[in-house]
Amino acid sequence: MTTVQWRQRVGRIGLYALIAWICLFFSIPLLVVIATSFKTSAEVRTFSIFTLPASPSIASWVKAWAHACTGLKCGGIRVGFWNSVRILIPSVILSVSVGAVTGYALSHWRVRGANMIMLLLLLCAFIPYQVILYPLVKMESTASIYGSLAGIITVHTVLGLPVMALLFRNFYVGLPEELVKAARIDGAGFWRIFAFVMLPLSVNILIVATILQTTGIWNDYLLGLIFAGRDNVPMTVQLNMLSTTSTGEIEYNVNTAAALLTALPPLLIYFLSGRYFVRGITAGAVKG
Amino acid sequence: MSAVVVSGLSKSYGSLRVLRDISLPIGSGDFTVLLGPSGCGKSTLLNAIAGLEDIESGIIEIDGVDVTQREPSKRGIAMVFQSYALYPTMSVRKNLSFGLRVRSVPRAEVARRVEWAAKLLQITELLDRKPSQLSGGQRQRVAIGRALVQNAKVFLFDEPLSNLDAKLRTEMRVELKRLHQELGVTIVYVTHDQIEAMTLATRIAVMRAGVIEQYAAPDDLYEAPATLFVAGFVGSPAMNFLRGRMAVGDQLSVTVGDVTLPLNGYRFTSTPAPGQEVILGIRPEHVVLSSDGWVDGEVLFMEPMGADTLGWFQCGEHRVSARLVPQAARGLTGRVRLSLMAEHASLFDAASERRL
Repeated sequence: MTTVQWRQRVGRIGLYALIAWICLFFSIPLLVVIATSFKTSAEVRTFSIFTLPASPSIASWVKAWAHACTGLKCGGIRVGFWNSVRILIPSVILSVSVGAVTGYALSHWRVRGANMIMLLLLLCAFIPYQVILYPLVKMESTASIYGSLAGIITVHTVLGLPVMALLFRNFYVGLPEELVKAARIDGAGFWRIFAFVMLPLSVNILIVATILQTTGIWNDYLLGLIFAGRDNVPMTVQLNMLSTTSTGEIEYNVNTAAALLTALPPLLIYFLSGRYFVRGITAGAVKG
Repeated sequence: MSAVVVSGLSKSYGSLRVLRDISLPIGSGDFTVLLGPSGCGKSTLLNAIAGLEDIESGIIEIDGVDVTQREPSKRGIAMVFQSYALYPTMSVRKNLSFGLRVRSVPRAEVARRVEWAAKLLQITELLDRKPSQLSGGQRQRVAIGRALVQNAKVFLFDEPLSNLDAKLRTEMRVELKRLHQELGVTIVYVTHDQIEAMTLATRIAVMRAGVIEQYAAPDDLYEAPATLFVAGFVGSPAMNFLRGRMAVGDQLSVTVGDVTLPLNGYRFTSTPAPGQEVILGIRPEHVVLSSDGWVDGEVLFMEPMGADTLGWFQCGEHRVSARLVPQAARGLTGRVRLSLMAEHASLFDAASERRL
């Protein structure tokens, strides 16, 4: 072998070693969590966290889902799951549709001060939530929706708007202006053009927006903690309550199972729709 | 009776004035072409007539009604776009019927009109296809069909043929001419292609920098261009321009270099002053080889174009082209005598660039 070939081979080995190391780095914690969730309490207590479960059992998954206690209630994490679903569905539908209409209006209709609105949206997209939490709470309590399902849905919709509007605007800007002109001459108005001309062209971007919002809202902890109210705590918040419960012994196996259950929906969505996700993002980025 | 009357129309983008006080009466049944180089404001004018572009001042009347403030859909117009602008997710049938359904035209009537337009444009067998499954020419037909079903008073075309290849463009040109004759509708058509304009139009408005330079029938435009710009823009191969001076004498003539050309038979529209600087415009077909010609020219090269050959000659400081019979042009070398047919020439004031 020549020196060049040697060098290439060494470089390649180094590359794979690095990739393997990075994979391990990210997957070991996950593997520990998965392994722990299938162990019995005794096993968790006596053995190292790196050992595999001796006799894998789904008992802790069942317990986490249906019987685990947070405070005095012992309904399992499924309570939070259904709360999350109830928050998620209206929030996603509202934020995506409001974002789509806003993006469409800003891209194809002459809105007074459209550039200013765009700038503001862009700014809003970069403001950390923590900064505006207090005024948001005040506003919601003035409107008497603070601590209710409507309250948390409103917050998700409003805070999702900047990113959604920008996403849709950038997509619609790429569609030919003449389509809207032709439809206007055909007699269609703002809504009809949106419904019959623009929406049918928006399937990819709608999927992208839905994925972004679904994972974002599902994984949200802070807003759910503050705005959802006691009866609507989302799964993430309940998971935290479950794992920080200080009474009795800490059931690591149940906690890890609950954590995995909570992380499952966004993971499933990524796996099922990754293809559309990439396609939609590039479709929006390049052109219609 | 005028189908469209534009009066005193102005429009600016910021400090750029794209339309300056445009007035344009368009006769019913006319095929009016707005012709000009890109950026002359022709598309803006068309969009203004359509109502897709806000205007600053002026009035637009369609069929005797002031429509200046009306929505595009309420003006009685139909439009064909350069990019066709077919609705990508709808079938051809839906594309054609969308406007009618929006206007709640009865189902049977919609079907009848779609069938009629499809038959007229020979796209009946394409009705259930999506635009993406059509060729450029077919898309163009669908776009025209979408306008036809509207029963509009005025049809607006925005460079409809410029996305087609040369052969298809010629075919569609004939098709459009046939449609216009068959239906007798009023058409306003924007193009930068002067051949398209000459072949299709009953009247041409030549535009430059937001102003209509000349509005006339194609023949008049070609034979008696009103400005130097029109003379240069219309006609291919282009008109020859010779810089000279009005000569002093009992007969009106032009001195170009050291040659004096008599202007026998030229119909002046104004009286030029002696010594006035002028530009003599002469089309290649009005430059002829003749042994008793006035101008001495050195053969440069020949451009055979099939039916005739374009000969290029160096005459003093000017390069002059002449449309020659191919047989006569063959083997032509050295120096020749040329004569210019003054009765067909165009004379322009060098300063104002207007016809004299």
